[in-house]
Amino acid sequence: MATDTEVLVLGGGSTGCGIARDLAMRGLEVTLVERGNLTHGTTGRMHGLLHSGGRYAVSDQASARECIQEVDVLQDIAGHCIEMTGGLFVQRPEDSDEYFQKKLTGCRECDIPARVLSGAEARRIEPYLAKDVKRAIQVPDGAVDPFRLCVANAHDAERHGARIETHAEVVDLLREGDDIYGVTVRHDSGPGKRTHKTPGTTEDITADYVVNATGAWAGQIGAMADLEVAVRPSKGVMTIMNVRQVDTVINRCRPKGDADIIVPHETTAILGTTDEEVEDPDDYPEEQWEVDLMIATLAELVPILKEARTIRSFWGVRPLYEPPGTGTEDPTDITRDFFLLDHAERDGVGGMTSIVGGKLTTSRLMAEKISDHICDKLGHSASCDTADVPLPGSENLEALEDAMDEFGLRSPVARRSTQRLGSRSREVLQTTDPNPVICNCESVTRAEVQDAIAQSGSDLNAVRIRTRASMGNCQGGFCCQLLANELHPEYDEETARAAYDELFQERWKGERHALWGEQLSQAMLKYALHATTYNADGDPARTGTDVNFEAFDGGQTDTEAGPSGVVATDGGPRNRGGDQ
Amino acid sequence: MAITDDVLVIGGGLAGTVAALSAAEHGGDVRLVTYKQSTLRHATGLIDVLGYTPEGEGPLADPFDAIDALPTGHPYERVGTDAVRDALLFFDALTGDTYGGAHTDSNALVPTSNGTVKPTARYPVGTAPGLAADPADTLFVGFETLPEFDGPLAAKHLEAAGVPFETRGVTLQFPGIKRADAKVTRYAHLLDWDEAVDIGRGETGARAALAAGVSDALEGETRVGFPPILGDDNHDVVRRDLEERLGVAVFEVPAGPPSLPGMRLEDQLYHALEEAGVNVTTGVPVVDYQAGDGDRIEHVLVDRKGQQVPYAASEYVLATGGLVGKGVDSDRTHVFEPIFDCHVAHAEDRYEWFVDDAFGDHPFASYGLEVDNELRPQDANGDLEFENLRAAGAVLSGYDFAAEKSGSGVSLSTGYVAGDRAGAEVSG
Amino acid sequence: MSDAAQPTDEHVPTDDDFEPIEVFPESTEMDLRPGADNCYKCSTCDTNCPVAEVDDEFPGPKFQGPEQWRLKRQDDHDIDDSVMKCSNCMRCDHACPSEVPLSQMHNTARGEYVEKQMSKRSLEYWRNRLLSNYRTMAHLGSKVPRLTNFMMGLGVTRVFNEKVLKITSEREFPAFATETFREWWDARGGYATSRERARAAREARGEKTTAETDKRIAYFHGCYSNYNTPEVGKALVRVYEHFGYEVMVPDQRCSGTPMYANGMLGDAERAAKTNVPELAAAIEEGADVIASCTSCSMSLRQEYPELFDIDGVHEVSNNTWEGLEYLRVHEDLKGELEGTTTDLPNLAYHAPCHARNQGLDGQAIEVLSAIDGVEAHDVGDSCSGISGTYGWKAENYDTSMKIGEEMFEHMEAADATHGLTECPTCSMQMEHGTGYDILHPLEILADALLDGGETQSSSGTGPA
Repeated sequence: MATDTEVLVLGGGSTGCGIARDLAMRGLEVTLVERGNLTHGTTGRMHGLLHSGGRYAVSDQASARECIQEVDVLQDIAGHCIEMTGGLFVQRPEDSDEYFQKKLTGCRECDIPARVLSGAEARRIEPYLAKDVKRAIQVPDGAVDPFRLCVANAHDAERHGARIETHAEVVDLLREGDDIYGVTVRHDSGPGKRTHKTPGTTEDITADYVVNATGAWAGQIGAMADLEVAVRPSKGVMTIMNVRQVDTVINRCRPKGDADIIVPHETTAILGTTDEEVEDPDDYPEEQWEVDLMIATLAELVPILKEARTIRSFWGVRPLYEPPGTGTEDPTDITRDFFLLDHAERDGVGGMTSIVGGKLTTSRLMAEKISDHICDKLGHSASCDTADVPLPGSENLEALEDAMDEFGLRSPVARRSTQRLGSRSREVLQTTDPNPVICNCESVTRAEVQDAIAQSGSDLNAVRIRTRASMGNCQGGFCCQLLANELHPEYDEETARAAYDELFQERWKGERHALWGEQLSQAMLKYALHATTYNADGDPARTGTDVNFEAFDGGQTDTEAGPSGVVATDGGPRNRGGDQ
Repeated sequence: MAITDDVLVIGGGLAGTVAALSAAEHGGDVRLVTYKQSTLRHATGLIDVLGYTPEGEGPLADPFDAIDALPTGHPYERVGTDAVRDALLFFDALTGDTYGGAHTDSNALVPTSNGTVKPTARYPVGTAPGLAADPADTLFVGFETLPEFDGPLAAKHLEAAGVPFETRGVTLQFPGIKRADAKVTRYAHLLDWDEAVDIGRGETGARAALAAGVSDALEGETRVGFPPILGDDNHDVVRRDLEERLGVAVFEVPAGPPSLPGMRLEDQLYHALEEAGVNVTTGVPVVDYQAGDGDRIEHVLVDRKGQQVPYAASEYVLATGGLVGKGVDSDRTHVFEPIFDCHVAHAEDRYEWFVDDAFGDHPFASYGLEVDNELRPQDANGDLEFENLRAAGAVLSGYDFAAEKSGSGVSLSTGYVAGDRAGAEVSG
Repeated sequence: MSDAAQPTDEHVPTDDDFEPIEVFPESTEMDLRPGADNCYKCSTCDTNCPVAEVDDEFPGPKFQGPEQWRLKRQDDHDIDDSVMKCSNCMRCDHACPSEVPLSQMHNTARGEYVEKQMSKRSLEYWRNRLLSNYRTMAHLGSKVPRLTNFMMGLGVTRVFNEKVLKITSEREFPAFATETFREWWDARGGYATSRERARAAREARGEKTTAETDKRIAYFHGCYSNYNTPEVGKALVRVYEHFGYEVMVPDQRCSGTPMYANGMLGDAERAAKTNVPELAAAIEEGADVIASCTSCSMSLRQEYPELFDIDGVHEVSNNTWEGLEYLRVHEDLKGELEGTTTDLPNLAYHAPCHARNQGLDGQAIEVLSAIDGVEAHDVGDSCSGISGTYGWKAENYDTSMKIGEEMFEHMEAADATHGLTECPTCSMQMEHGTGYDILHPLEILADALLDGGETQSSSGTGPA
């Protein structure tokens, strides 16, 4: 089977989704393919910092300026994906005054609003900061939910006619001579919304132009057409705390290094990170020392972290790139700017451009520049509107406050739900059916889960990134089964079971890195619930064991105790009234 | 002055209560001190003895076929097969006709709320009519406001598990429930007291209203399974009332926490403690101990909101639970037992406490105290930690109760043996 | 560069400056989110909540506590109004296997709700304030007890309460004593008298009789035994003196329990600012603090240090005991009671929820069983349902009685002559639901240990 499109975007991260939306809004016919879920690569594995630019104000002022501009834009177009928390660059007594001054000057030079706070002032904003912090620079950092941002971009692209295919892995680039004209993808469960257990299919998608926006995987895609894209993937660990110890982004004010940032993210706080080059973006060690380093180092800024509960850790791989011959040794020093590699100019092979480098905060701007380039290539003339038109969910957010009472939900549940759904809240939450909370940790109701299922099919990880269900402190312990229940009857039992298994294992992957204290206790409870109570591990439907039911106790049958076949009594020793 | 008894049991779950009861049989003064509420309230009330071997073979039709072959260090190996049988007899006598399964050595397969079956040795009589070996066609009833149990999906899943009967499920509204986040105790209370509920055309009793809805959904099935919310203190009355109204057998499908069947068992056990004259002190933790002569515990210290009150006894039983019950705790480098600091063997490297498969053979699942055949905790060298301390239940090492489905059986057997030995010490 | 060396203009924003600080409230409100770290979502708390069991408008302690806190951002003020349905029985604290500070979370959230979301002009606010400041009402009422008792009994007063104040007319207001405990105490000669009596008792017991004794207690009588049941206070004084303890009765105000339950944390803190220094001073003089009401001892022990930052609050918390508990640990109470008898042998005992939280639930029966012939039945572990001011509110009356149903039934089945409990409001509910007369365990103890009470007239002058 073969289909044709004008532009084919490879990769469903922030870059790919941004490009798909931009081009679709400009009137081009766009198809996006992603091997996993949206955000599956690097986008879904970042700390969620919305950069004011402060972090680059000393080392990379061009990036810093772009960041502060884009923060403004995102407040207008993506209000429901971001939280303007504000940020602090905190100086400890042992940190250099000189660097502090450089940072402040840098911010000023880049037009990043910055003001100096005394240690006491900083602690008034963030009471859990260490008592001995010296000073802080306050900047307009924020937090962004990368899942929501990507999903909203993809959703809007679809509204403008784009085709978005997740779980569609590129298995080959179609190249004829010096022209790339499409790809072969393998659909994990057939095209369209994912349904587990649907047989996989293969599809050739031809296109006038191909954009390789696969980030850390760009080299692997390039290699399919014998093109060399020298991405230098660099891993970083992020540790998620169970609660927000801080409501402001806390940066350590010292030259870039490991473990220097805490980002309040939704209900949690995320500690980051490290920077270490890896060979293969799909296979690298995830190690204990990295997690321990996060906690130990960041506890210097926020001491309560030392004893606080973490719920999981995850690693992301930065798609770092530098032009051949630059030869930077430490990945920390590689530029965070992005590169547009037009393979026609670079390798004499037409029809494809690869995008590498870059960062989430400026992903819209990147997408705009790349889209300009592609329109240029295709001779398509249309202007970019992505900076002005709000994403779905971010329209008229002011009106939301009044709507919250209408949903019949407890007020914190209504608050969190509308924070996630933005202007879609009414459409999703207004229902006359019972709307129980499915994920208690994150307050996700049935209506929101059903909305996500309608968008993404039977994939509960796709439901997760849309709703945050199973991302709280029990890590799906109490809601994996409930979420699977929500799939039925639209999806059959086998599908629901497979979806549960997949989500359960996915949650464990990150939870493993937090197994001590409260989270080990939580993990044991989760294991006990799913193994002891549910017997999910010994389930004959899963193991395929052919059980001889007749060999088991079928109850006592030789009594006159009525229909149940077992002697019943009048209610045990503490029987009380009510049988009148 | 220390508050003094002959035997002091620390921990109020299944192992602790059974230990106190079996100690009390010897006639001395027995006290049970329990801090917060126990994992009994998380549990299904089923008494799993052994459903799978440590190698994963199963479901076992007869747990006793496999108990003798368990490895050294397994709690059943420590106490011996006869003690497991004795403990079950003790439990049967304790629970009388509120539990089933005593008539056979065989395991029963009980449908679970996610639609699998699991092997267990004793089951509440409210669960009995649902056993999977009974080939009666079954309707599973779920409720829109109780999302843990999806009747239709559970029915389909059981079919996939190969049960020898026809299954079907429906989802109904529960009469009298106004909010979608009502607690399970609210459902139970409505039925326990048969509260009047509005059914649109006037009021009727909650049981009649529930039965009317289910009756309409029945299509010839001879039994109906509900989530475990059929009353609390009046559970049996409620269940039989529904059976009468529906003309078919009614049973509960065990589910996760909070679990009314577990709470009902807890009620029975505490009632038995009262009957047996066991002194029960709840709500306060044992935080420390005073060592006495030799390797003996002189007294323990109970924290009463800041005041440390000494409690003394000749014999002590530690039944504080495992990682869930907090009888075993951990930090980033250690796994430990918090009251007596008894030795807990564990890997140095935290990343060896678990494996990468969520349902794999996790070492953490069997962390706990190593004990001798008298259930006395041993240090790293195999010497006794204390002469007058025994341990029972999930605080013990050597078994993965979740994988084996042996949790309540081990708690019962080791609680029974520890209490019995402690009671014999003081009476002899 | 130090802070001082910092150019001051850095702190003065110009019009062009981004001014993010404004999004943060300038407050030092208590942040209890870290307490949610302990929660592993087992819902044991929910199954212990007597309110959630009978009223599904109340979403249970797990939601009101750790879940609601965890969902909170610094600038969110969305305490769900259902927090006012919590009766502050604190059974959730007693239940939680994971040490989540549930009642602290509820108290703080309720305080925030009343502060930020409840109209200060609403009748509900003023009704709650009136109820939670029982001491003020009682203080006035006890000036003219007979008149007040008469007035409160009048139909017209009860109608006014029900219709205007939404205070249920189903309940009868507790009668004020014609002589308060403190009036009795003062007339008896106060501490000087007690010291003499204690010294005489020590002598009789063969203990050292010098003035320097460590046998000294400061009695926190609370409002109820002062204004309504002074006989409980008198029993405590006599029993302690019997064991040779010198009793001090420091100045004191309400323990705060009814105020927490109504979110009136300001009122509670003002009272605490009297109580803590007074009690701390007594502790300084070698006394331990003893309460006869288990909610008072609960408040001094747990809620004070959780909610208030007052000098001496931890000393008070760490040196406060319940009346029976203290004797049990410091004296051979069992030995002393052996061979004694009482005229009140058949008792139906209800353990108050707050006693349960202090590990005292089995205590009364264990202790009193040592008295010859005493049959004390525990009527089970249910909540009485009144929870202080909760059951007085017209909108809660039915719920309160539903919660109490189990206890009433067990009491009736117990076939006793008297009810028995440590908590004054539980005792109101027990009496209201069953008609039993309700006693305090200290009264039984006094009856057993002392022959016919004080040799001097109980309202009379102390020994010279």
